Amino acid sequence: MPFPEESRLSVVRLRSQGFSGKRWVINKQSLRMNNSMPTRLHGRYHELAPHLVPMDYTSDPDCKLPLALIVNMPELKENPFRNRIVEAFSEDGMGNLSFNEFVDMFSVLSETAPRELKAIYAFKIYDFNVDNFLCKEDLEKTLNKLTKEELTPEEVDLVCEKTIEEADLDGDNKLSFADFENMISRAPDFLSTFHIRI
Amino acid sequence: MNEARRRGPTQPSGPAEVISDCYLGDRRPSSQASNPRCPQFDWGSAPTGDEEGPQDLRGRPLSMSLKRAVWQVQQMRVPAVSKGESWKRKRTKLLRKLREGTREFLYLFSPWRKALQLIAGNFGGGVQSFFVLLRFLVLLNFFSFLLIAGFVLVPSIVFSSEGSDSVNVSGLGECMEYNPNPQGLVPFYSYVLDVLLGTGFVELSYLFYGFYKNTLVQGTNFYNIPLAYIFTAVFYIAFCLICIVARLGTTARVVVATGGGSSGNYSMIAFASWDYGSLGEKETKLKQKNILYRLQVDLEEERLKKQAAALTLKQKIILYSLRVILFFLALGLIIAALVGIFMATQFSQERSGQEGILGLIIQYLPSIVITAGNFVVPMLCDQISLLERYSPSLTIILALMRAVFLRLFGLCVLLFTLWSQVTCSGNPEEDDCRLCQYNHKLYPCWETRVGQEMYKLTVFDLLVTIATLVLVEFPRRMLVDNWSNKLVQKLGRQEFVVPANVLVLVYGQTVVWTGALFCPLLPLINTVKFIILFYCKKITLFCNCRPALRTFRSTTSTFFFLVVLLFGWGLATAVMTYSLAAIHPSLSCGPFRFFANMWLIVPTTFHTLPDTTKEFLFFIGSQAFSIPLFILLCVVLCYFIALASVYGKTVGLLRAQLKLEGRDKQFLVKQIEALSEHL
Repeated sequence: MPFPEESRLSVVRLRSQGFSGKRWVINKQSLRMNNSMPTRLHGRYHELAPHLVPMDYTSDPDCKLPLALIVNMPELKENPFRNRIVEAFSEDGMGNLSFNEFVDMFSVLSETAPRELKAIYAFKIYDFNVDNFLCKEDLEKTLNKLTKEELTPEEVDLVCEKTIEEADLDGDNKLSFADFENMISRAPDFLSTFHIRI
Repeated sequence: MNEARRRGPTQPSGPAEVISDCYLGDRRPSSQASNPRCPQFDWGSAPTGDEEGPQDLRGRPLSMSLKRAVWQVQQMRVPAVSKGESWKRKRTKLLRKLREGTREFLYLFSPWRKALQLIAGNFGGGVQSFFVLLRFLVLLNFFSFLLIAGFVLVPSIVFSSEGSDSVNVSGLGECMEYNPNPQGLVPFYSYVLDVLLGTGFVELSYLFYGFYKNTLVQGTNFYNIPLAYIFTAVFYIAFCLICIVARLGTTARVVVATGGGSSGNYSMIAFASWDYGSLGEKETKLKQKNILYRLQVDLEEERLKKQAAALTLKQKIILYSLRVILFFLALGLIIAALVGIFMATQFSQERSGQEGILGLIIQYLPSIVITAGNFVVPMLCDQISLLERYSPSLTIILALMRAVFLRLFGLCVLLFTLWSQVTCSGNPEEDDCRLCQYNHKLYPCWETRVGQEMYKLTVFDLLVTIATLVLVEFPRRMLVDNWSNKLVQKLGRQEFVVPANVLVLVYGQTVVWTGALFCPLLPLINTVKFIILFYCKKITLFCNCRPALRTFRSTTSTFFFLVVLLFGWGLATAVMTYSLAAIHPSLSCGPFRFFANMWLIVPTTFHTLPDTTKEFLFFIGSQAFSIPLFILLCVVLCYFIALASVYGKTVGLLRAQLKLEGRDKQFLVKQIEALSEHL
């Protein structure tokens, strides 16, 4: 099987511009785990839709898998935020992921991604109405997903209010990215919980 | 921005197209943070050499195709630098590659990686931190064993044929009598007893101190076994300290930087509590229930706080006096347990000659009483704490502290009893101790005896764990699964209680550290014991336990566990220092038999060194060197403390400034609106 499509692609491109000897460079940079990751990820991507995903990426195919297929992966299946996760990483915002974006997603969710990067994507995930702010409705939806809607509406209200009170620094009753990042920086477990093992 | 999105999947055939994709679409040169939708990259920036390397690129939230393009552009822009600069850059690149290579190599070497991942996915970070600590201790013990084997065990075996030094000591013939081998025929089961108790054929083996000779190998292979023994013991303790402090440092950094994580409770739960790595439907449901429970508990705590603030004076007085009474009650329980351990140890030492099963029980009496105390007293203290009505977090910390003190003081009492019997309570003029400076009638080879006590504690601990697994935990699960009686169902499957298990580890490790001087192979035994413990606990976790409803914050608790481990280390070091410096070694066995105390071998060897080395070492030990060194270390320490406090203050100031800026912005926006209305 033609091995790491990503690196082959990059090698081809680099060679065409007269650079040689930089074999794994791009793939290794983009992926934060050990060298066997790209093959494994491609294997996983392929098995989601074997008839759609080509084995050979040297021709740079234009192939995107729909949201419904990706959220069925065992790592994502039980996650209440699975739809939002996939939408946050898709370029068209509708949840269709190409292989690049697929790799991106697991790369950010791996254990060695830097904290700032994770905070940026966490903010995107929790922003349900995609307005660059975490307003009260976003928080309510988050809480309901977290507790399977078993809190009473008054309790949900109270918790949302307290959350905004604790984290809102500029007093506009919603959380901007700066507020969110500031709050996340005080969470010691964030790096280990925002992490999908694949 | 819409333009970029509509173009769909990008196929960068060159950097130019990608530039147009994203940059032209959004002309605002805003920072990435405020516009997470369209990732920005400043194409006009000059390359800054190694700083703008792959590391930085990884941290940018750009799409993969954009990152690739950026990398290509950066590669094409090779800056013109001088020879020195280019060499420096090559060196930094090489170092970075080396670091990453070693990290990947070490990643391969950490055992049980998959098992830990599975545990974390199914039971959460708190339980995983227990297993991570267990793995750390296994590796620590294993490398300590390699150290001891390399410097003490192997040379002893290799040079065992060399004769040992013998100094003429007249009048002390009685002290030199030591024959632990049983005379005549022995029943078969005594071999099993010997393994359990460390007597008989086990006693006269490399396991215990008494078997090592004070060989001084001269000639081509120069090796001084007593010196090696002492230095290995000291270095082993120091090595353990360094490992623990290094691990503590990494955890402490996170704790200090995040300010303990006590503020911002609700926002933490809302945004940072969901474990994205959890697998399985049951576990997900459980986690949701867990979060629900935490939120409800927090709301409840708020309500209680409001209630407590509204207490009348009379109610407050009643509550506080109740707390004081209960505190003394808990203290009384702990002291009672300690007295029980003291008496059991004395009893066991006095009746140590008994044979048979009764003799076995008497030998193991201290361990039995300690284990029983460690089981019963925390349970009673738990019931007491229900009456005290502290907040839940304070209750947990109090329970942990009480259990820790009980365990470590129990061990202290055992050691104190042993000491008072070996040295006749520190009184060398007493009848039994006058001849040999220690009680040679009861203890012809006291170090081996102390080593045996530690060995028995370790073995008993392991046996109790396995017995609990087989006799208590499995039956409980089978009972709960197959009998639908209401009471039984209410009891339910057991929970994996992390703090209690961690204390077991800390206690076991403290015993090993205390006993390592007298029983050099104890780290090896402990390694095997902890490996068995790992698999036993894993089996029990997956088969018998249900995930805990009340979770544990893993980072601060890891910190606390390591601090408790340090307490144990401190106790062990105190014991070792005292044994090295104050007690007279046995005259009948061991490598130090002809010295007044164990440490004396160092000065003795020191005097045989050549003159220049002696001068040099004298200089280092003298005041002219050590006092300036001490002062320098104090200065460095003060510097770091000052730096840390300054950083803490800066963080606070910056936070306040952020708030202020936000308010300023609001104010200005309102002003602009007001002005624009006028116009």
